Formats: sequence, structure tokens, C-alpha cells
Amino acid sequence: MYLQILLLIAFVGAFLTYLLGKISSKVRDIFAVFISSTLIVMTAFLYGNFSEKTFYSGFLNLPLILRMDMLSWLFAITIAAIGTFSIIFSLSYIKGKERTDFYYLMMLLVNAGMLGIVLSGDLISFYIFWEIMSWSAFLLISYNRGPALAAGMKYIIMSIIGSVTMLIGILSIYTSYGTLTISEIAPLIASASPGYILFILIFFFITFGIKNAVLPFHTWLPPAHSEAPSPFSAVLSGVLIKMGVYGFLLIMYVLIGLNKFLTLGEGLLSFHYILSILGAITIVIPTFIAMLQNDAKRLLAWHSIGQVGYMILAIAFGTNLSIAGGIFHFFNHAIFKALLFMVVGAVEYRTKGIRDLNSLGGLIKKMPITFIAALVGACGLIGVPLTNGFVSKWLIYKTLILEGAPFLAFAALIGTWGTILSVYKFLHNMFLGQLPEKYKGIKEAPFSMKLPMLILSFAILLFGILPGIPLRIINAIGTSFGLEALNVNIWGIVSETGALNTVNIFFAILIAGIIVWMLLRMGKKSIPVSQKDSYAAGAYIPKERYHYTVEFYNPLNRMIKTYLRDFIDVFYSIIVKVGRKFSGMVRKVYSGDLGYYVIYILLFLAILIIIKMGLVLW
Amino acid sequence: MVIKVLEIIAAVIIALVIGILFLGLFRKIMARIQWRYGPPIIQPLLDIFKLFHQKGFSHGIIFDLGIILSLAASIVLILFIPIGGLSSLETSGGLFVILYIMLFKPLGIALSGGEGANPNISIGISRRFILSLGYEVPLLLILISVMTYYKTISIVEIVNAQSNFQWSLFSPLFLSGLTYLMILPAILEIRPFDIASAPQEISSGPAVEYSGRYLALYHIEHAFSLFISIAIFVDLFLGGGANPFYFLLKMLVVFVLGVFIHAVFPRFRTEQAIRYLWRWPVILAVAGLIIILIIKARYG
Repeated sequence: MYLQILLLIAFVGAFLTYLLGKISSKVRDIFAVFISSTLIVMTAFLYGNFSEKTFYSGFLNLPLILRMDMLSWLFAITIAAIGTFSIIFSLSYIKGKERTDFYYLMMLLVNAGMLGIVLSGDLISFYIFWEIMSWSAFLLISYNRGPALAAGMKYIIMSIIGSVTMLIGILSIYTSYGTLTISEIAPLIASASPGYILFILIFFFITFGIKNAVLPFHTWLPPAHSEAPSPFSAVLSGVLIKMGVYGFLLIMYVLIGLNKFLTLGEGLLSFHYILSILGAITIVIPTFIAMLQNDAKRLLAWHSIGQVGYMILAIAFGTNLSIAGGIFHFFNHAIFKALLFMVVGAVEYRTKGIRDLNSLGGLIKKMPITFIAALVGACGLIGVPLTNGFVSKWLIYKTLILEGAPFLAFAALIGTWGTILSVYKFLHNMFLGQLPEKYKGIKEAPFSMKLPMLILSFAILLFGILPGIPLRIINAIGTSFGLEALNVNIWGIVSETGALNTVNIFFAILIAGIIVWMLLRMGKKSIPVSQKDSYAAGAYIPKERYHYTVEFYNPLNRMIKTYLRDFIDVFYSIIVKVGRKFSGMVRKVYSGDLGYYVIYILLFLAILIIIKMGLVLW
Repeated sequence: MVIKVLEIIAAVIIALVIGILFLGLFRKIMARIQWRYGPPIIQPLLDIFKLFHQKGFSHGIIFDLGIILSLAASIVLILFIPIGGLSSLETSGGLFVILYIMLFKPLGIALSGGEGANPNISIGISRRFILSLGYEVPLLLILISVMTYYKTISIVEIVNAQSNFQWSLFSPLFLSGLTYLMILPAILEIRPFDIASAPQEISSGPAVEYSGRYLALYHIEHAFSLFISIAIFVDLFLGGGANPFYFLLKMLVVFVLGVFIHAVFPRFRTEQAIRYLWRWPVILAVAGLIIILIIKARYG
């Protein structure tokens, strides 16, 4: 009952918000925030609740079921939280733009759809909610029109392909087992042949891989993320693409089961190993492509692909540490990537839509809070110790090395070092350096933007220093998959092969920082000077702008640029071109002229008659 | 508890003293190679004291915080690295934490320098990051080989496994050790890899806006990172040390080797450095890793 009410509030709230918007925009804003925060509270109360209830059974004689366990809870609370923060962020971001009612409707609908996905207990309702999410996401991606329309089109075409493959998978399961309830399929599928399981897995892999932007299916993501309105980019990158991760977990570990999944194939040719390698490739290449980007959101978008690679690698690798690391990384990535997109959104809002990294700079003087948020988020993305990203990556690295997968570990580690370069570029080109003359009058982001950014920054540090809080939940998920429980403590992980203690590190850095600060205080006081007062080794200092950051990593870019083109995108473009040519040919036949059609019909009849007569004569 | 605190303080002081001494020794050896007399060995220490008494210029809060973060991270790193039996925080995450805290140093300097808004700094930081990406590729392969060979991520256990002269450098890991020596100049940022500081081209790069106490902290940080980079090599490949004295002796040998390299080579261009680092060191490191994997598969 409770789950139905939850979803009902989510959906009805979305439409009510739209209607309220026709009356008054203020009421609508308040109501949207109220609805989305209600969802957080309601989900939070479900903690530790395990239930499965049929809410409708008339559909094709199949019961539609809502289900709740630890895995759904973690995803649901993340969805609800990121959704609420982005709605709060939208309040000033979207103000004054056109079609705001529609925007809020879609934002809430996406959230409701995602909640439905993680709460659904059978594959049919899973599919229905999946489609709701996909289509409302499409409408939001193309909200800005112009290039956004093309981006949205690219997204929805790939998404439809994914839906079709999922539908095939679902139908196949239905014809084999006669049921679509997840908890009923799980015991039945245990006796299925490995070939059949592989068949199912591949179809679902295409669906979830597309949503997740795993490497051959990633091309929709960079344009979609960069063209969508920033608060929605936060949702898109934070949770929506992670529905693929949820799908993978559901299919691989809930439906098929740990043992069956890990023993599919042998050695290097097993499915889970190949998926891990795909994850590793998804880490490395996009992370390096990100370095070449000059659009702040596009840079982050490429990192989304890279970070999803960590999750896929970890989840597919299939040890208790790696699955915990993968799920934890989903949670962390939702927080820090949402935060980073909000930062870009705030800058975009204040600079009237500028997100080109080469034309910004020096904003720290004008937007210090946004800078702090950006710094914390960037550290989380790199995985600096004391941020949450570190703990999840630590888990992944550790298991990869100890379980004898050194090359996968190398891919995961080098991805981090590639991240540093692009993330520093992101921070430096936006916030550090010289402030361009035209941004002299810029102000700090409004409160409704600062609030979600500060909360998310705080969460990054909190879960980085006390990772035990989410790890306990993740541990419960792991044990429900049949994995050995981790020895989790509030400050990290205890184990014989190397413990992690983040609180130790925190205090060590804190104390060392204080000591160094005291040391600095002991020295002679310094004179604050303006940025223009700098040493140029005798060179002339120009009056306007002295400090440029265009082509920041040029020596490296020159070397690696040729290898880092998005070949897959080029390949798809060729397919599209060929497809267009083919449809052009088809269109010549279907000219729309009635006369032609009559001739076709007559010709067809003539052929039939000739065949008939020919046969008779023979 | 008291002993632990004393250990921590001792480790930091040893690192500081030795690091600064190394800086002095560096100049002395360089001078002798170039047929000069050279400054006294304690000259860097005197410089630091002098700098603390000079007026400096600050460009803002991040300018200050960046250098603080960088030095604090170096101090914390000392606590993770076994210095001949002294290792205070070894149970807090192992080699990965060391690797990651090593990030704080360039990141802190970079943030601080970014606030400085000097083109020389920008170029220096860009080069510094590119260089670190360059040497991280072989370095990570080497570290993964070591961790795979000893099947642990704890540096203390790696050191313990090498006791009784079973140094990694003379074990199946010898190829990895050799590769580490090949990239050590890049990690230490000495010639031919001093592209980030390059005094003659970009006026010391990231350090160009530092003066007074900031420059003093920068020098201290430099001393620490010199110590750390060599100490990690000694721990991983030369068996650490039974007591601090042996440990420092081994460090001295590696250090003098580094100074000799510094003395005879001219500076690479950025592309040349990357090309060097991504060619032979990577090939050798991969070969080393494959050897380790074969041995592990054969003999467990």
C-alpha cells in the first residue's frame, strides 16, 4: 500500500504542479519542492523494509508488482534526493524562461519514472516506467531547442533501440517461464542453459549499456548532457544514466544470480570478464577525451561516461569488495556529478549562458561559495582522500589487484590520473586566473542555487570521512546477492589484506594543516597584491588580460589528439548517412503521386497474372 | 599512545632534516662536478630562515591555502612511509592512500598558482601535470607489479617481505625496479625532466609568484617531496631498512645517483619527455608485470 501511495504522489504531484503553474508560478515552485521533498521523507521511512505487493493484476493476465528491498531503497533515496536538489536549483535557474510549467512537469515525471523503475517488482512495470523515464528525459534534453533538438533526437533513437531489445528479452523470458515477476523468475532461471542466459544477458546488456553509455553505445551522452538545462544535466548524469547500473544489478545478481552469472563462460572468455574489460575501456578512453574538451558541460559529460566505466567494471568483476565499490561509486557519483553540473549551471546562470572554458576565469573572487562547491566536487571526481569518491575507488582498486586482474587495475588507476588533468583545467579556467573585464559586475549565485550545492558538498565530505554510513547499507545489498559480508566500520573497512581508515587520514591532514598554517603565521606578514601585480621576468604586462588559458595541455594534446577521436560516433554517422541515402531511394518509389501507386498496383497484378498463366502453361 | 606521537614527530623531523640536507648536498655535488667550490651544505636551511623574515606577496586566500595543503599533504605522507622501522599510519589504506596523497602536492601548488594568474605559472602547471601523467603510466604499472607479487596493498608488508636481504630489486621484480630507476628523475623533477620549473624558460614556473614565507614553505615542501620520492623507492625495491640509519644510507646512494644524472643531462622538451616516458619505461614495466603474472601463475 505504502509503495503505491509513494508512486501515486510522485505522478499525481507532477501533474498537479503543471496545473498549479497555470494559476501562479510561486505556488507551483513551492508545491514542486514540497512534492519532491515528500518523496525523500517517504522513501527514508522505508529503510530496512522488505515487501512485495501486487497493485494491479488485470494487465494481460500479468500481475503488476511493486517491490522494495535494500537495493531499491538505496537507488530510490538517491533519486529522490538528487531530484529534490535539482528542483530547488531550478527555482532560479529556470525562472523567466518559457514553458516553465512544462519543465517542472517533466522534471517530476522523470523522477517518478525512475522511482517506479527501482520499485517495480516485475519486468512489465519495469518496462513501462523505463519508457516513461526515457520519453520525459527526451523532452527535457530538447527543452532548449536548437542544437538540443538534435541531441535529444540522438538520445531517443538510441534509447528506442534499447527499449526494443529489452522488450525482446522480456518477451523471451515470458514465453519460456510464463511469468514476469522477478522473484518468481529467479528460481526458475537457475535451471536454464548457459546459452539461454547469455542470450537474455546480451539483449538486456544493449538496453542498459545504452542508458549507461558503455563504450560502443556512448555517443548520445556528450551532446545530451551538454545541451540539457543544467539542473536536468545533474539528474541525467547523477541518477538517470545509473538506471543502467540498477538494471545490470537486477539482471545479473537478482534475476540470474551470482554463481550462475560468474560461471558463464570460462576464464578470459567469460561474460563477466568481457564486461569488466568493456568497463575498463569505458574508463580510459572517455577520460582522456574529456581532457580535450573546452565546453565545461561536455567535459563533465565525458567524465560521466568514464565514471560509469568504474561502476560497470566493478559490478561485472563480481567480488564482494568490487560490487560494494561499484554500488558505492554509483552513490558517490550521483552526489559529486550532480554537484559539478550545478556549479556549471550557476556559472552559466550568472554569465548569461557562457560555459566555454576559454572565455571564463577568475570567478573565485565573485562566486567563492560556488568555487568551494566546485573544488569539493572536483576532488570527489578525482577521488582525493577524504572525499567519498576515494573510498569507492579504493575498494575497486584493492579487489582488482588482490584478485589478480592487474591490467584492469591499471585501467582504473590511470583513469584517475587522466581525470586530474581535465578537472584541474575545469577549476582553473573557470574560477582561477584573471577575471575578464566583462564579468567585473558578476554576483554570487542566488540562495536557491547555493543551498543544494552546499548540501551536496557537505555530503561528499561526510561520506568521505565516515564512509561506514552508506557502506553498511551497501553491505546489506551485497549479502542479499549471496556475497560474503564486508567487515565494515564507521570509519572504513577492516580486513587482513589492508584496512582503510579515513578518520585517521582526516585527522592527520587536519593536524598537519594546522601546523603548516602556524608555520606560515610565524613568517613575516605578506602584502596582499592584485593579480595584475605579478612577475613577468622583465616582459611587458598588458593592461587588459595578461593570463590566458587557451589550449591548456597543448603539448600533450598535440601528441594524443589523433588517437582520441570518437571513432564510434564517426561510424554511427556513416550508418546514418547510408540509412538516409537508402530512405531517399525508397522515397523515390513512394512519391506520393496517386498515378504512380495505380501503376504499381497494375504492375503487381500483371506480374501475378503472368506468373499464374506461366505456371498453367508449364 | 605517547610512543606513537613521538614516533610521528621523529619521522617528520628526520624527513625534514634529511630533505633539507639533501638539497644542500645537491648543490654541493653539482658545484664539484662543475669545478666550483659550492655553498655550504646548510645553505638551504639558512635560506629558509632568511625567507621567513622577508616580506612576501599574497594573491588571495587560495594562494595561501594551496601551499598549506601541499605541504600538509607531504607531512602526512611521511607518516605512511616506513622509514627504517618507523611507520605511524600504516594501517590506514596502504599504497593507494600514498599514491593519492601524493596528488595533493601538485594539486595544492596548482590551485595556489592558479590564483597567482601568471602565464609562467600556467605553463609550469600544465607541464607539471603532463609530466606527472607521463611518469604515472609506468609508475602505476610498477606499483601494480609489486602489489601483485607480494599480494598485498600495504607498504609495510612489502618491506617486511624483503627482510634478510631479499630485496625486490634482485627478485623477479628486477625489471620493475630497473624501470623505476629509469623514471626516478621524472618523479624527482630533476634534469632531464625539470620542464615544470625550467628556470631559464619560465622563471621557475609554479614558484614564480612565491616570495617571503611562501617561498620558504615551497622550499620545505620541495625537501619533503625529495625525501618521499626516494624513500618510496628504497622501501619498495631496496628492502627498506632495519633501522633508520641503514635506510638513510640507502637513500643517500639513490640520491647521489640522481644528482649525477641531473648533472650531465640537458632538459627535455615536454613532448620529448612524454615520448621517453611512454616508450621504454612502459614497455619494460609491462614486461615486468607479465613476468610477475607468469611466475604467479606457475608457482602461486
